[in-house]
Amino acid sequence: MKELQELSRSLLADGQVNVVIGWEQGPTGARPVFVTKPEDADRLIFDQRCVHNLAAYLSPRRPNVGKLGKAAIVAKPCDAKAVAGLIRESQIKREDVVVIGVRCGGVLADPASKEALSAETVSERCPGCESREPTLADHVLGDMPPPPPGERRRDARIDELEAMPPAERWAFWQAEFERCVRCNACRQVCPLCTCDRCVTEKTQPLWIESSAHSRGVFAWQLTRAQHHAGRCADCGECDRVCPVDIPLGLLNREVARIVERRFGFEMTDDPAAAEPIGAFRMEDEQEFIR
Amino acid sequence: MTKAITKEALTGLVAELTAAGVRVIAPAKAADGGTDYRAIFTLADAILGGEMPRRSLRAVFQPPTEAVFGWERKGTGIELTPAAAASQPQVVLGARPCDAAGVNVLDKVMGWDYKDDMWFARREATTIISLACAEMAPTCFCDKIGLSADATVGADVLLRPAGEGYTAEALTAKGEAFVSGHARWFSDEPVTADPAPPSREAFPLDKIEEWLEGHFEDALWADLGLRCLGCGACTSICPTCHCFDIVDETDGTAAGTRRRNWDTCQTGLFTVHTSGHNPRADQASRCRQRILHKFEIYPKRFEAVLCTGCGRCVQACPAGVIVPEILDSIAQRANGGAA
Ligand code: SF4
Ligand code: SF4
Ligand code: SF4
Ligand code: SF4
Ligand code: SF4
Repeated sequence: MKELQELSRSLLADGQVNVVIGWEQGPTGARPVFVTKPEDADRLIFDQRCVHNLAAYLSPRRPNVGKLGKAAIVAKPCDAKAVAGLIRESQIKREDVVVIGVRCGGVLADPASKEALSAETVSERCPGCESREPTLADHVLGDMPPPPPGERRRDARIDELEAMPPAERWAFWQAEFERCVRCNACRQVCPLCTCDRCVTEKTQPLWIESSAHSRGVFAWQLTRAQHHAGRCADCGECDRVCPVDIPLGLLNREVARIVERRFGFEMTDDPAAAEPIGAFRMEDEQEFIR
Repeated sequence: MTKAITKEALTGLVAELTAAGVRVIAPAKAADGGTDYRAIFTLADAILGGEMPRRSLRAVFQPPTEAVFGWERKGTGIELTPAAAASQPQVVLGARPCDAAGVNVLDKVMGWDYKDDMWFARREATTIISLACAEMAPTCFCDKIGLSADATVGADVLLRPAGEGYTAEALTAKGEAFVSGHARWFSDEPVTADPAPPSREAFPLDKIEEWLEGHFEDALWADLGLRCLGCGACTSICPTCHCFDIVDETDGTAAGTRRRNWDTCQTGLFTVHTSGHNPRADQASRCRQRILHKFEIYPKRFEAVLCTGCGRCVQACPAGVIVPEILDSIAQRANGGAA
């Protein structure tokens, strides 16, 4: 923590950056903070409650943050994947951001939790995560932690879903989607939802009905999932924000697994690696084109 | 009129209501294991006094999507079919006092310059039986908004935990009619309610309103605008947020449905004019809007703040935007403090 505060202080004092986007202790738990003065660098923290993917604040969709000037961002290995995604998709330039990588051994599901990190309290995305430190980083801080506790619960759940007869799987998602209120919070928090105008908001012609009836919800959820194929950083923010607790992580992860199987691509924090959705390869299977 | 009701009697009452075709809505387990207000068939399905239902009671009176009317092209004209009014009698059992208060606050805007038929059809068909909270969650601040864990606002009948059962206080004519209409389940034996959790000092809401009036421009908004992701999770779980969007959805080319859907002031598109101009072009102005609407605009017009202190927004916000913290810092500024 001292390391993080010292580094941020000097980055701000030397004028290398105008703002450090990191985490602070808020009234109910860890939360994002924007430190613009060297003397405020002591507010910065990093521990297992720092759940948020701060890359969302680098997106051009957040001009308020952009106006502060050049930013340094504190990033866990998975957050760095989202930063890489933004660079890869030309939303930001590598030289315009200083990445302060932090070594990570998993975070809690809830940034307000006071519990210790355990198989029960850990965030869904962490068990099985093999990245202990980001490669996309200008600085890397912290000691090398042990891997996150727990088993890959979500993959086990997806295996179960994949094994279900289609009608049963359909019924599962129907029951989940029934609660969707079409608030679009899952889109708003996503660091990689960067469209100026989302397709679900186009009304002439109307592509996706905005109502929370089953037609509207299915059209929306399937579109959202597909638009994230090979792009999702698996940060779990969409899942965490959903006010009706729809397990969007299951969908995201399923799509990521399909992309992995079909295109051999795994989301990475290397901004130069081509995403399948934006790359054409002759060797891609094309059996569906007849 | 205060009576008592045992858990067994309440079980019988619910069975009687559902058998008579009355829809009973209570906090109950949702598919994901959380708690939501849902239709129940027996009292055993209800979770009375458990964790806060994730969604507020608002959805019961204004669903996330609802048809306003259908239309169909007929020759050269268009035929409109109004949506059927929701008139099935229903009872909300175990409403949070903050949620009952929220519905009451919304009656003011729903019946203001135009009487919202769909809202009031449901309101009139519904009896709200609220249940005083035995304890307050760390995120609850109803007391600081001038309510309390056993607030009666908006409820027709208030139950208070009393040992193994409840006291039942009828608060409105509808509540009295309900209790006397189902008199056999209630007893006149004197029962003492368990003490409700104590209330803390309320925020100086008048002072906050006054400060807000004079601080349309302030550094506070810029700060909020940085942290807030504009996701609107706070507004979609709020018992007092009520903005909606009107959309026309077609079935083929000759027919369609006009619907109203929840909307949120926290996204950019909310205020975009057809000219392309957006008076709330950045997140800071949207955050300001949410706070002003709740604590200045609404109180000015309707003499009630548009917040019941349920704390749902505090729980829902992915970015740690915390309304009581904001109110505290405004109160300090209003008192001349630096905050
Ligand atoms: S997914 Fe990996 S990098 Fe991300 S928070 Fe969990 S352990 Fe850390
Ligand atoms: S889709 Fe969800 S998990 Fe994937 S990057 Fe976006 S917010 Fe994160
Ligand atoms: S956040 Fe949840 S409720 Fe809102 S649109 Fe996304 S899935 Fe639906
Ligand atoms: S603003 Fe927050 S605390 Fe107030 S009523 Fe709405 S959700 Fe509850
Ligand atoms: S939930 Fe939080 S981040 Fe989302 S719009 Fe509300 S205040 Fe902003």
